[in-house]
Amino acid sequence: MNVAYFPGCSLQGMASEYDKSTRLVCKHLGINLEEIEDWNCCGATAAHSLNHLLSVSLAARNLDLAKKMGLHLVTAPCAGCYGRLKAASYELKNNSEVAEKVSQIIGTSVPIEPEVKNLLQLLVESIGTPAIAEKVVHPLKGLKLAAYYGCLLTRPNQVTQFDDREMPVSMDLLLQALGAETVNWAHKTECCGGGYAASETDIVIDLGGQILESARAAGADAIVVACPMCQTNLDTRQKAIGAKRGIKYHLPIIYFTQLMGLAFGYTPRQLGFKRLLTEPFSLLKAQGLA
Amino acid sequence: MPELTKKPTEYYFKAVKLNQLDDSLQQEIKLKCGVDVETCMECGKCSGGCSNTHIFDITPRQMIKLIKMGREEPLLSMDSLWTCVSCQLCVDRCPSRIDIPRVMDYLREKACQQGIKPTREQVKLFNELMLGSIMKTGRVEESLLAVKFNLKTGNYFKDADLGRQMFFKGKLKAFGPRVKNLKKIRQIFNDTIQKEG
Amino acid sequence: MTEMKTALVIGGGPAGLEAAIKIGQAGHKVILIERTGSLGGTLRKLYSSFPRWENPEDLVNYLAEQIRNSSLITTMTDTTVTAAKKSAQGYQVTLETNGGKSKEIKVGAVIIATGFELFDASAYGEYGYGIFDNIMNSLEFEALLKEWANNKEKISPPKTIAFFKCVGSRDRSKGMPYCSKICCMYTAKQAGLVKELFPQTKCYVFYMDYRAAGREYEEFVRSVIEQKHVRYVRGRPAKVMPEDGRLLIRAEDTLMGLPIEVTADMIVLAAAIIPSQGTREMASLFQTKIDQYGFIDYETNQPLKAGDRVFFAGACGFAVEILGAMEQGAAAAAEVLSLFNQEN
Repeated sequence: MNVAYFPGCSLQGMASEYDKSTRLVCKHLGINLEEIEDWNCCGATAAHSLNHLLSVSLAARNLDLAKKMGLHLVTAPCAGCYGRLKAASYELKNNSEVAEKVSQIIGTSVPIEPEVKNLLQLLVESIGTPAIAEKVVHPLKGLKLAAYYGCLLTRPNQVTQFDDREMPVSMDLLLQALGAETVNWAHKTECCGGGYAASETDIVIDLGGQILESARAAGADAIVVACPMCQTNLDTRQKAIGAKRGIKYHLPIIYFTQLMGLAFGYTPRQLGFKRLLTEPFSLLKAQGLA
Repeated sequence: MPELTKKPTEYYFKAVKLNQLDDSLQQEIKLKCGVDVETCMECGKCSGGCSNTHIFDITPRQMIKLIKMGREEPLLSMDSLWTCVSCQLCVDRCPSRIDIPRVMDYLREKACQQGIKPTREQVKLFNELMLGSIMKTGRVEESLLAVKFNLKTGNYFKDADLGRQMFFKGKLKAFGPRVKNLKKIRQIFNDTIQKEG
Repeated sequence: MTEMKTALVIGGGPAGLEAAIKIGQAGHKVILIERTGSLGGTLRKLYSSFPRWENPEDLVNYLAEQIRNSSLITTMTDTTVTAAKKSAQGYQVTLETNGGKSKEIKVGAVIIATGFELFDASAYGEYGYGIFDNIMNSLEFEALLKEWANNKEKISPPKTIAFFKCVGSRDRSKGMPYCSKICCMYTAKQAGLVKELFPQTKCYVFYMDYRAAGREYEEFVRSVIEQKHVRYVRGRPAKVMPEDGRLLIRAEDTLMGLPIEVTADMIVLAAAIIPSQGTREMASLFQTKIDQYGFIDYETNQPLKAGDRVFFAGACGFAVEILGAMEQGAAAAAEVLSLFNQEN
């Protein structure tokens, strides 16, 4: 199965372990990721905050490049990139006025295809949890995990059409297929503070804090994410949040692809576990996984 | 609980002469964003669960109400424009699916075009630096962006300790691969600024 | 031809019972069928009724006794309709009992009174119904009220209960833009009953508007607020989160424009009234008109007529209170009687 791959800026930088584990896991499952040639930034928070047309146009160029590679499906592991690409794709389909402007700007007819799916969606819909379970050689027995989806995998639901917008289950089912246990908690899709990490750090300390506390209270050993922004906010601000709340948190923030890789028999080193700030090894060792 | 003094802001206490108001802002929002605020039932579900409602000066529900009342001036200068995290909770919980984040974006863009000073300049600055990076290289170079942001805000050592940790984890790279067709990227920027300006 | 002067009443709730009784009293044969094992319908699930705090069981007994005393009414419980065929002057209908035995009957007119169901509140992930403990819908709460009333001394009551109205109703994103009509009243009733049983329990009712259009209705709601001290909060709750073994509710007080939080031990969701499964099935078997939500719809100028020789009564047509359901049952009976008389 050939899929256009949009890694996005974070996976080239801070979240290279997400990129690495994504490529390994997809290859293992027979998905051939073809990186979109000469892709550009999806526009991120900045573009849609300040110039709507720019945000759609930047995303549209990427979709157009994927289309020219003859691919019908684009996947983006970063929830932020996915959100922008998906929103642009939706708007191009549903708003002819914007579509017209964008086609003039990018200099080609607007790309109705390819379809945009987030990586989690691609794996659960195109491969399926039973097939994923078959590949497991090291079941993640004993791990109690909080599946954290963040805002943009499921919202806005009219655009994403993926899972339940407030109580999604696909990542939970996937982690269960790997042999782990997942907790019931209310913060699966609450916001971590997103792009405010640098400019309004207090917002991240506040919102991220609610998420960490909820996961801890639900009895989770770690939080599993599908977004570099969520990962960075919850991981890098964990100490500051603990200081603010007077609680010492130790919740590794792990990409779901890293755990998939682990269950498939790859080593923590291959999957970039050592790049996580909140160290995951004591947890993995305790369960005989590292 | 928030301080009662923080909101509602002063203009709520002046009698609003409803029959002097017009619906041009409401029409503009409908035309430009495709959002019909007439469908708002004023239930407050958007604002009750909003990620940052406790620090908003104007809640999403009040924002919709002000649009209905045609009161542009408080909307373009509100703090909420710069603390909305675009988490999309409001639109997904709204019984009428009113796309509040889209309206937020529109009002923010309009406030910038009119040169209205943002209540949180560092948020705007961060976004502008990010756009600058995209325009220059086609991508965002996170480390450079953080450094530039600290230099511009004069907050040289913000998160320095964190930066050190991340550097040792290999999370900070100075230069990543850039887009080859930078001419195209610049043209997209120029065209969109022209079309929107 | 007497079988063509026999009426079939489908559903043994207040609407169906009243319809069967009136047709029997007028001297015509009735076959009354009920899907469950006993008569009474939703009434049997209720602990008390509004606006007069009456015991629904008394009403069930009153109606059931009249049914028993009528020699013209044949009651069949644990029975459903599985097929219907139109004939010149009525319908040939196949009935099936739970035991799998089926029977063919011929009837001259049909009254559908198949009631309602509650919308599945788990569609609101933000409220955690079906995921977290102590979150229930209004009918589940009625059962709990009964249990509490029977074991009052043994219960350690919740400190705080929150009631959410409009869970599904008035929400076009969930496909139900309509008001379910009775939730404002029964929610006031339920909160009032809690205060009656356990005066120390705090009750919060989250509302968008409260609608109390009916005899003694407004007075009823005001008495719950003023005399029973149930607290009304204007705002649709946004999110429920477990916290320290309790449930944290986030909402906006829309009158103040302030975010508010309530920590509750129990949450009762007034889920929207939707057509029951039986209603959908009967509508399809008898090819009645239905509205866009699946409720049985009426023919212009004939408020209880749903098709040829088919009438309806009660909540299968739309949400309705107990007395309203009985009124419709009686009126549907009048339609049938008028039809039978014209064919003498």
